[in-house]
Amino acid sequence: MGNGIAGLTAADSLRAGGFDGELTMVGAETRPAYSRPALSKALLRSDTDLTSHELPPPDHGATELLGRTAVGLDADRRVLTLDDGTELEYDGLVIASGSRARRLGTGSDELVLRTLDDALALREKLSSRPDVVIVGGGPLGMEAASGALEAGCRVTVVTNEPPLERQLGPYLSSHITAAATARGLTLIITPGARVVDQDGRSRVELADGTIIDGEILLSAVGDIPNTEWLEGSGLADGGPLAVDSRGRLRPEIVAAGDVAAFPLAGANVRSPIWHSAIEQARVAAGALLHGDAAPELQAQPYFWTELFDLNIRVAGRTPLVGEPELVDGALDGPALLRWRHDDGTAAAVSVNYRIPIPRLRKLCD
Amino acid sequence: MRIELDRPRCEGHGLCEEAAPDLMHLDDDGELVIDIAEVDGAALDRARAAVRVCPVAALRLAERA
Ligand SMILES: Cc1cc2nc3c(=O)[nH]c(=O)nc-3n(C[C@H](O)[C@H](O)[C@H](O)COP(=O)(O)OP(=O)(O)OC[C@H]3O[C@@H](n4cnc5c(N)ncnc54)[C@H](O)[C@@H]3O)c2cc1C
Ligand code: SF4
Repeated sequence: MGNGIAGLTAADSLRAGGFDGELTMVGAETRPAYSRPALSKALLRSDTDLTSHELPPPDHGATELLGRTAVGLDADRRVLTLDDGTELEYDGLVIASGSRARRLGTGSDELVLRTLDDALALREKLSSRPDVVIVGGGPLGMEAASGALEAGCRVTVVTNEPPLERQLGPYLSSHITAAATARGLTLIITPGARVVDQDGRSRVELADGTIIDGEILLSAVGDIPNTEWLEGSGLADGGPLAVDSRGRLRPEIVAAGDVAAFPLAGANVRSPIWHSAIEQARVAAGALLHGDAAPELQAQPYFWTELFDLNIRVAGRTPLVGEPELVDGALDGPALLRWRHDDGTAAAVSVNYRIPIPRLRKLCD
Repeated sequence: MRIELDRPRCEGHGLCEEAAPDLMHLDDDGELVIDIAEVDGAALDRARAAVRVCPVAALRLAERA
């Protein structure tokens, strides 16, 4: 259920784990799975071709029901209902319905960036070099800002905290901010910005009433787990799906990816990143096949972003508080950095520094 | 099948190495090296897993020439 990287990996892992029974994939989008990380990076650049998001075609041999949405689940009868009324019976269910972009306003001209169609539409719009206003200074907003600047647009980012500070901490945030403003980004850091409808157009209004106007408005303000279709199933209470350390909601129902919240240090948290979706899906598939004998999730956080000519990779737990230790390189050039956490672990970060990820990970020990 | 790498595209994330450590590895410079390119059987399954996790689609499987 869900044809993103989590659903795809779960199907592959079931097969690799020896499952030779019948497999059905349901996906709301009509296309095969693709790489979402590419959407805000290579795909926005006009000088690149349109294939950076493509994943190889699946070979898990599942019956694929694409362009079909699951609308209900009866967990006791083990029946999934689709939008066309089809009822699918199952012995095991993987919920990988992901999440969707959060919107701040109601107008259809408020753009978001979540699907391939969103990205293609944005890329097309950027080619006429409009003035762009982006709400949100997280990875997505800043990557889109970087792409829009490269496309020759004037770009303003409105955000309630310094760019990427929540994800990466103040040190890297100011590094990224410096690179962004040096390339001409206008940055407005302010709480309380809203998206309002004015004269039939969506605009950004700051807390003091100032209107920030652009020809394009893109919101990049987080995502909402797709769980509405589980209403009434007793599995979801509106938030993400809180699973156990093997991804289980019930012995025969697992969840993985952006829709799932795995236990971490006493709380269930979502980890909406590519690598997490893959490692969670592997664990969840294992739990369906082997129950308690399957391995638990051993999260090995890995995150990367590319923006304003900075290529940043992070292994280990974030956020990164305080000053880093310089392991190699130079702070104003390619650098390998490390932060020590209070619990004895560390996080390692490469900035424009080519290093195998396994070696980056070793620096965290 | 044969594992092919689109080298300019590879960003050295190494997720592929994690999926199939016996078939490929990142060298000290962070360049991906395919150690075993011709695969079948169980190795083919791991190669498929490696090809799939690459977020920039730098790997692909081709029929043997
Ligand atoms: C633009 C962008 C850039 C990103 N960049 C990075 C990055 O640089 N690094 C990183 O680590 N992560 C990045 N991420 C996050 C990463 O892409 C996600 O964590 C990952 O794709 C999650 O995979 P998933 O399979 O859980 O969910 P999804 O990819 O959202 O897949 C879920 C699928 O389920 C389908 N679905 C939903 N509801 C239903 C239903 N009721 N019935 C049927 N089908 C349904 C959806 O259509 C969708 O295809 C980025 C995300 C975006 C949007
Ligand atoms: S996962 Fe892709 S980008 Fe990363 S090293 Fe492998 S081929 Fe290169």
